[in-house]
Amino acid sequence: MKNNWIKRQRLTGYVFVAPNMIGVLVFFILPALFSLVLVFTNWQFGSQSMNFIGVKNITRLFKDPVFYISLKNTLIFLASVPISLMLAFIVAVVLNKSVYFKGLLRVLYFMPYITSGVATAFVWMLLFQPSQGPINGFLRSIGIENPPGWLATTTTSMFAIDIIWIWFMLGYFMIIYLAALQEVPAELQEAAKMDGAGTYKTIRHVMLPMVSPTTFMLLISGLIMTIKTFGIIQAITQGGPGNSTTILSLFVYKTAFSYYEMGYASTISWALFIIIVLITAVQWIGQKKWVHY
Amino acid sequence: MIWKKAGLTALMLLCAGLMILPFIWMFSTSLKSPLDVFQYPIRWIPDKIVWDHHIKVWTGEESFVLYYANSLKIALIAMAGATFLSAFAAYGFARTQFKGRELMFFIYLSMMMVPPQVLFVPKFIMFEWLGIYNTHWAIILPGLFTIFGVFMLRQFFMKIPMEISESAFIDGAGHFRIFFQLMLPLAKPALATLAIIDFSWHWNDYENALVFLIDPKLYTVPLGLKNFILEHSIDYNGMMAAATAGIIPMLIIFLLGQRFIIEGISSSAVKG
Repeated sequence: MKNNWIKRQRLTGYVFVAPNMIGVLVFFILPALFSLVLVFTNWQFGSQSMNFIGVKNITRLFKDPVFYISLKNTLIFLASVPISLMLAFIVAVVLNKSVYFKGLLRVLYFMPYITSGVATAFVWMLLFQPSQGPINGFLRSIGIENPPGWLATTTTSMFAIDIIWIWFMLGYFMIIYLAALQEVPAELQEAAKMDGAGTYKTIRHVMLPMVSPTTFMLLISGLIMTIKTFGIIQAITQGGPGNSTTILSLFVYKTAFSYYEMGYASTISWALFIIIVLITAVQWIGQKKWVHY
Repeated sequence: MIWKKAGLTALMLLCAGLMILPFIWMFSTSLKSPLDVFQYPIRWIPDKIVWDHHIKVWTGEESFVLYYANSLKIALIAMAGATFLSAFAAYGFARTQFKGRELMFFIYLSMMMVPPQVLFVPKFIMFEWLGIYNTHWAIILPGLFTIFGVFMLRQFFMKIPMEISESAFIDGAGHFRIFFQLMLPLAKPALATLAIIDFSWHWNDYENALVFLIDPKLYTVPLGLKNFILEHSIDYNGMMAAATAGIIPMLIIFLLGQRFIIEGISSSAVKG
């Protein structure tokens, strides 16, 4: 009797999971496996033949200068995550206790994150306009005679993208920091004060360590979120000027849908996957090592 | 103490003002005449307010009316499907026993590491073959399944005490009745959060639309925006009117559903 019930329950479990599982199988797992096969082919979109060429795509990747450029650009792009995180922490600490209009301020800081990334990227494109744009207009008015070319010059374009991304992510990080700070016991802060610790010391030695699990989690998830993005860059620079804003994820897109080299594009996309696996591995190992209370 | 607090408030308001300055500049520019776009010092409130750019964006053959309709269709269907299917699967993972449950969930989690770029090419081929490339279904169908949603709702279902299910079992209810009559009502706030987050993903999703749609009649808002900017590359006022059109809906949803969005994002992340 009881065995029968458990058996029936087991089947019910499958019924609950099956619809989603089938979808994940069809739209995630099978395409991923197929992509892995494409790595070893020279298939180009539009051509009828698909030949297995062994590891040629992989050796080509390691010789491709654009791959190294995009790797470097990806690193510059990822550097925006810790910077945004740091600013978000400062904003969250101040908003947490010491301001009026907390609700309003929270909404204002969060606004960039919730609105369409592409739409706001176009606004930044005009703000950064080198000869007449308002940012350089401001810089000239305070006496900087040769303001940077921002998105228009190869040396500064990636940093301009970073500014947009820091601005975009800050609100998201801040919201989560605010939630984490709420869980820091008030007695701890009181105790620090009683021991004569100033504001800075309380933040440095009480709050910062208490939210370190959040910092770590945000850093990892922020890095992964960032490395998968290419929409805003594709929309405003198409990876240019030159290849100066071609990050790895955009390199995959361009190789596949501008040059139609599907095999090679798949190879690059798996390089991206490996980097994500490495970041995740750091998370698994580091969770115990670097997170202190 | 009060002065310190007032001072910090003023400082934070100033920084917040800087944060939203791009939005203000965008809207102000969309109301200017072409000659005044890059006038410096910036005139935040134009001398003469011009609505022509907004009218241009909203009228004509391929206007934002069409893009809005397309985006709404995709976002609403995907949101409804994804929310329900996630809840269904999350219940299975959290509250039923079956062989291979842990392994299946592990596979789910590991798929979260696969970047969308890996899937673009094979999905492109698959959709061509299925005949849904360059249709809205190419975005809606995969959008029905979200691994994040299953993950988030599983966490939620696991927190509900098992005794609630057990007493329902004793009263003769099966899993389906428990799911529909007990768990779904309990999960309403979590479902609302997932629904809003999922909607915003689809509304703001540029990358999938870019890969899977080529017919301008099918364009969603972000893609339509990009198209408008390509076609009117020197019409800065028009561009900013278009950007305004792209931003407004999420802004309204955010202001109305603030509580769900902020609490949902923070609770799912802090504990995650």
